[in-house]
Amino acid sequence: MIVENGREVVIRVRGLAKSFGSHQIWDGLSLDVYRGEILAIVGGSGQGKSVLMRVITGLVKPDSGDVGLFGQNAKTLSPQDRLDIERRWGILFQDGALFSSLTVLQNIQVPMREHLDLPQAMMDDLAFLKLSMVGLPPNAAHKFPSELSGGMRKRAGLARALALDPEIVFLDEPTAGLDPIGATDFDHLIRKLQQTLGLTVYMVTHDLDTIFTVCDRVAVLADKMIVRTGSPAELQRHPNHPWIKEYFCGERARAATPGERPRIPA
Amino acid sequence: MLKRDHQVVLPTQARAPGFRVELKGTAFRLVATGAWTVAEAAQLDMALKRLRVPIPPTPDFTGEMDIAGIAEIDTAGAMLLQRTAASWEKSGLRTRYAGATEAFRILIEEVQRRGHAERPQRETRKPLQSFTEDMTKALTGVWSDAVQLTAFLGEVTSALGRMVRQPWRFRTTSFIHHLDHAGFRAVPIIALICFLIGAVVMQQGVVQLKPFGAEPFAVNMVAILALREVGILLTAIMVAGRSGSAFTAEIGSMKMREEIDAMRTLGIDPMDTLVLPRILALVVALPLLTFIGDLMGLAGGGLMAFAVLGLDASNYIDKLRDVVDFQHFMAGMIKAPFAAVIIGLVGCLEGLKVEGSAESLGTHVTSAVVKAIFLVIILDAVFAMFLSGIGV
Repeated sequence: MIVENGREVVIRVRGLAKSFGSHQIWDGLSLDVYRGEILAIVGGSGQGKSVLMRVITGLVKPDSGDVGLFGQNAKTLSPQDRLDIERRWGILFQDGALFSSLTVLQNIQVPMREHLDLPQAMMDDLAFLKLSMVGLPPNAAHKFPSELSGGMRKRAGLARALALDPEIVFLDEPTAGLDPIGATDFDHLIRKLQQTLGLTVYMVTHDLDTIFTVCDRVAVLADKMIVRTGSPAELQRHPNHPWIKEYFCGERARAATPGERPRIPA
Repeated sequence: MLKRDHQVVLPTQARAPGFRVELKGTAFRLVATGAWTVAEAAQLDMALKRLRVPIPPTPDFTGEMDIAGIAEIDTAGAMLLQRTAASWEKSGLRTRYAGATEAFRILIEEVQRRGHAERPQRETRKPLQSFTEDMTKALTGVWSDAVQLTAFLGEVTSALGRMVRQPWRFRTTSFIHHLDHAGFRAVPIIALICFLIGAVVMQQGVVQLKPFGAEPFAVNMVAILALREVGILLTAIMVAGRSGSAFTAEIGSMKMREEIDAMRTLGIDPMDTLVLPRILALVVALPLLTFIGDLMGLAGGGLMAFAVLGLDASNYIDKLRDVVDFQHFMAGMIKAPFAAVIIGLVGCLEGLKVEGSAESLGTHVTSAVVKAIFLVIILDAVFAMFLSGIGV
């Protein structure tokens, strides 16, 4: 276990480099994720925010550099250890990535079926509990993903990500495509779940409202690396970087600052 | 998963979950220890189900869930505790929790609050009912398909009429593009398949006719079969699979991304730009491909005739000249433009029927190929009856 400043580092990324063809997206990217925080990754388009999430979760291989997961180096993990670690996180993809041939309830039960040997009644109990925790009505349980709205699909995807009570959840643009009311609800949901389940939340987002209302820390991807990390307020006060300045001190950012709207209490 | 103390890594034996029930004064206590997490839930579930619910002898007995010994808990563990507590409450014990940390308490209360939602049953249809329903749907589907296809044929015809009157509406580039894709690029595969089938039919014909001493007639069989049926059928089926599906996929994905709506709002008629060039290109390409298919079928037959009958090329061609009539060639050829219209219509119509999702695209591509091949075979049968009826 890596402890820094009295907090456990659950993910440690060091010196990551990645190119697609001749286009290099990062060169020497480093990042720490602490237990129990809600971390937002922001950055302009094409900076590889989603790719970074994919590298950490092992879906994409980096060209060089190290990813440490719960204190273990991802490169040297045996397949079994890798599987054990994958059980400790859940991922919400942009549009939920629910399996279209399964109902919502069956979707939530997929990880339980794959990894554990639970009786059906218990899986039903758990799945209905998760469904309720992400704010879906019980009658959504037997619907197919195609019968759900975008917001409901995201919630169902989140319920599946939470199926095995992970320690970390990765959220890829959780509020993209939601209307402002739906997005605000989702922000509250993330904060609530983070508190109840003691989650570490790693999210890729553009949404300034989300950043200012729920995120503890923001990491900014620019110039092929994480140029700064800090609380949203800190970054707004001292941007020290042209992109951060534009992002956190632009018109939209001013409209989203906590002065205008109460921060969801931690 | 919530841990009592994150800085401590538990040794394996301390993770083993467990519980015991004891009576202390007037309180039944469930003393839980270890890790109550989803990984251990199956085992805990079984043990807790075997546990008998204590029956309070007098109403002042209470229940207590002592979770001070629990090192890790998650929703599964909290749910199991909650289920037990609820069953104790039901038997008349007022049950409370003891030894919970703040984080544990929040989780347990959340699970408590969420646990009562009603559970809708999944609707299941009776087998007989579902059979009749599916049957009805299939039959009405056939009818509505026929209606839609006829209506679409009408639309295409009127669009064609409009184009004849206003020739500048004709999209030459698009027409040439589809001619290239559906016609020219299909040549190698169609040539190869017709060649092989011609060879196979010749070889089998010789084997089957040999006992009757009639093996030279295998050439007659192959020649007539290739020209009348095999050439056109194989070509049409290949084109339905290759180009019919491509039409559906192309138009369908444009429909999915609202490109077709955008066209309409810009005053562009998708009939002119998408449907007509494709269908016309097929009407031109399919007879040409059929011609190539016919030749290759005869060539394949010729190779096999050389191999098993010892006929050389000039003998084979002489024999063909005796057997084959222009009628036979035309009987196959005449079907090609009709097959082309069917494949084009079905492909484009299915494409236009695609709705928003990728699944819908997949279903329509599949059904375009299936319907096109089915209709081509029906067409072939109708022509066979008609042509033999008029004595060709």
